[in-house]
Amino acid sequence: MNLERLPNEEKLSLCRKYYLGGFAFLPFLWLVNVVWFFREAFVKPAYTEQLQIKTYVKRSALGLLLWVAVLTTWITIFQHFRAEWGEVADYLSFTIPLGIP
Amino acid sequence: MIIFHFRFSEQGNPALFFISCFFISLSCWLYHRCACYQPEGLTLFCNSVEQKIYVELNNMVPCVRLLNATHQIGCQSSISGDVGVIHVLESEANLEWVLSTGPNPPYMVILESALFTRSIMMKLKNGTGRVAGAAVVVSKTNPAEGFSPHTKCPNENTGVYSESYDPTMAHCNVTVWNPLGNGLSYEEFDFPIFSLNDDNDTEAIRQCYLGYNLGVNGSTPEYPLCAMQLFSHMHAVTDTATCMRRNDINFSINPEMVCDPLGDYNVWGSTKPLNNTAKGHKEGESMVIAATRLDSRSFFWDVAPGAESAVSGFVTLLAAAHALHNVTQEAHPPRTILYTFFQGEAFDYIGSSRMVYEMDHKQFAIDLDNVHSVVEIGQVGLRSSSELWVHSDPVSRRNNSINVSSLIDTLKSAAMNLNVTMSVPSFSQPLPPSSFQRFLRARPIPGVVIADHQSAFSNRYYESIYDKAANLNLTYPANLTEDEQLEFVTETANALADLATVVARALYKQAGGADAQLINIKAEPKIVTQMLYGFLVRSNNTWFQALVPPEFKNFLKPTPPDYYVGVSQTPSHARTPTRLVQYLLANLTGTTINITKENCHSQKENEQDTESKHLYSYVWVQGVASPNSTERQGFCVRSSVRLSKAVSPAFDLLQEYSSKDYSTWTESRWKFIKARIFLVASHDLEMLTLGVGVGILLSSLLLTYIISSKADILFSSGREPANATY
Repeated sequence: MNLERLPNEEKLSLCRKYYLGGFAFLPFLWLVNVVWFFREAFVKPAYTEQLQIKTYVKRSALGLLLWVAVLTTWITIFQHFRAEWGEVADYLSFTIPLGIP
Repeated sequence: MIIFHFRFSEQGNPALFFISCFFISLSCWLYHRCACYQPEGLTLFCNSVEQKIYVELNNMVPCVRLLNATHQIGCQSSISGDVGVIHVLESEANLEWVLSTGPNPPYMVILESALFTRSIMMKLKNGTGRVAGAAVVVSKTNPAEGFSPHTKCPNENTGVYSESYDPTMAHCNVTVWNPLGNGLSYEEFDFPIFSLNDDNDTEAIRQCYLGYNLGVNGSTPEYPLCAMQLFSHMHAVTDTATCMRRNDINFSINPEMVCDPLGDYNVWGSTKPLNNTAKGHKEGESMVIAATRLDSRSFFWDVAPGAESAVSGFVTLLAAAHALHNVTQEAHPPRTILYTFFQGEAFDYIGSSRMVYEMDHKQFAIDLDNVHSVVEIGQVGLRSSSELWVHSDPVSRRNNSINVSSLIDTLKSAAMNLNVTMSVPSFSQPLPPSSFQRFLRARPIPGVVIADHQSAFSNRYYESIYDKAANLNLTYPANLTEDEQLEFVTETANALADLATVVARALYKQAGGADAQLINIKAEPKIVTQMLYGFLVRSNNTWFQALVPPEFKNFLKPTPPDYYVGVSQTPSHARTPTRLVQYLLANLTGTTINITKENCHSQKENEQDTESKHLYSYVWVQGVASPNSTERQGFCVRSSVRLSKAVSPAFDLLQEYSSKDYSTWTESRWKFIKARIFLVASHDLEMLTLGVGVGILLSSLLLTYIISSKADILFSSGREPANATY
């Protein structure tokens, strides 16, 4: 879909859908939203719906950052302590590396 | 050129670059793949780069990782194999080159077997980062000073002598059974160690080393240098509990087994058939157990010749069983004799602990109440004089209700008038490592262990690669054909036959048999010598061929079988020694019956028979060919010989992977084991090559981009103007 050819109301509704969809533990939707609507929100000359799009994009970016922070922290902790945790860590793992603790 | 197959009119499409990148890597990959695998018919196209670079070493045996409740032992390489510049070690002092002064670390150390000592190996183990691996050249002659990579106190924690049984005897406090043991087999190495068994491989390595790795007149050697790569990446890690748990996790994308419990099958048979379908106590039965062990081990995987530690004992018991056959048929003694051959005893008594557990839990044909006494044959092949030693347990001797002394007297009197003397070692000495200890752990039972050593083992190569035929002085005169060697009665065979006679007579007396019959019990040296030849020199001999089923004949090899217990399998995949002993015991103690092959296979004597299979087992064996024919005359052997599982109860019965009472040994799995040598260039040259390669790749991408973006100018003739498409 090319955003250029879309009327502004539809852009807004699309951005809104992606923003709301992200709350269903789908941070990738927020990522897409940020990347996709960044130009619309901050670069394009002003139009009526832009303000709302801007809000959605900002919130999506914030949510995304939160997710990244949480995931990075967890993955760091998990990888660091996986061997130490033993049984628990094995059951939390999807693939277990061969030949290392 | 692949790049130029694209239509350049697809202007400015960045996908083009990804696709061309992809094709470049694909062509590289294809080329490499051809070089590696050489599919039939493509050899001309793929001029085998791999073969030009690498010399594969095919007869190398690795040391692999084993795990128990608390530890991992053995060796492993990294997942892509460990590479190091070859250094042939000349002496212990020469280690300095490897560990500090040599300019091209890491090194792959080649050791003569005389240098494969604990002190050198521990220095290599601690040589952080400068040791890529080691390969041991196995010498043909045994080291004169003795060598045992096993511990000084074998099976220290799973025998009967715990702190609670008698603190003064725990941990080999009274007698150190294997004083030569250096414990190398129980160390953990984080680099691969292989053994070199093939002279051609050794020679190839030596030539490569001499040609490239020695500097001219002692100067620093220059590149290219000869290097070796060893692959032995192990999947399991930490301990048995961890690897068994990971075996069971199967929600991952690629569920993968990482380790298997060690185990195989015990062989047992009795002088009188026992109903094997009805488990538990047999009313009115009293059994004399004649036990021995079937397995051995060494530092390296799957090389366990075990001549003295296993073969001497079980050959003696087989010969004794044969000697008892006729007499027990004619005049069966009041008690029954049960022959048991335990597997996996080297790894904390796997076989015996399993059988005792089954007897204790009504899962075996008899229970412990049926056991009258135990006579175990330990290491018996190396007696210096006629003297053999009858070991017994001081703790149960103190208990008057346990009648050990009469058993010892029986053995002593059975030895009279024969070329054997049975002596008793010091009264306070505990039992040597033996399966009987597992019976004692369950309850006090009278029993003895017969061995050729008074205190420490006479075996100077216990659980090592040198415990082979030569250790038993098994030599044959030159110029004998294979069949003549098979029949040639060696001194060792005579000595073991004498002992087998003593054991057989003692068993008969112990079972309550009449003294008058004893004279008829005599082991045949010819049978013993044939067994020694088959088990220690060449399992593919005419005698073994005649005694095994047709489907087993391919397991007979021109070499002796290997006595490592291996990982547990189905009965039809039991280890070769297990099955050989099963078939030999069946032939030596069974009877030939005239039934069809089909009935024999389905364990019945005629079409209606459904009862015999509870008492007997039937084996169809190949037999021999009659003189004027090439076809073998097979026949059915009926015997009471059976296999029983020799897997530690800690696995399939209790699932206690950190058990302190039962063996918890597992063997790691691996993808492949490989060794090869090749020449390596200096690091600078390698980096230069890589840099030039990357440069060419980048410039070709740039060139493609330029050509592609100027395509309408470069390729305008004969084409419509590019903007006509819009």
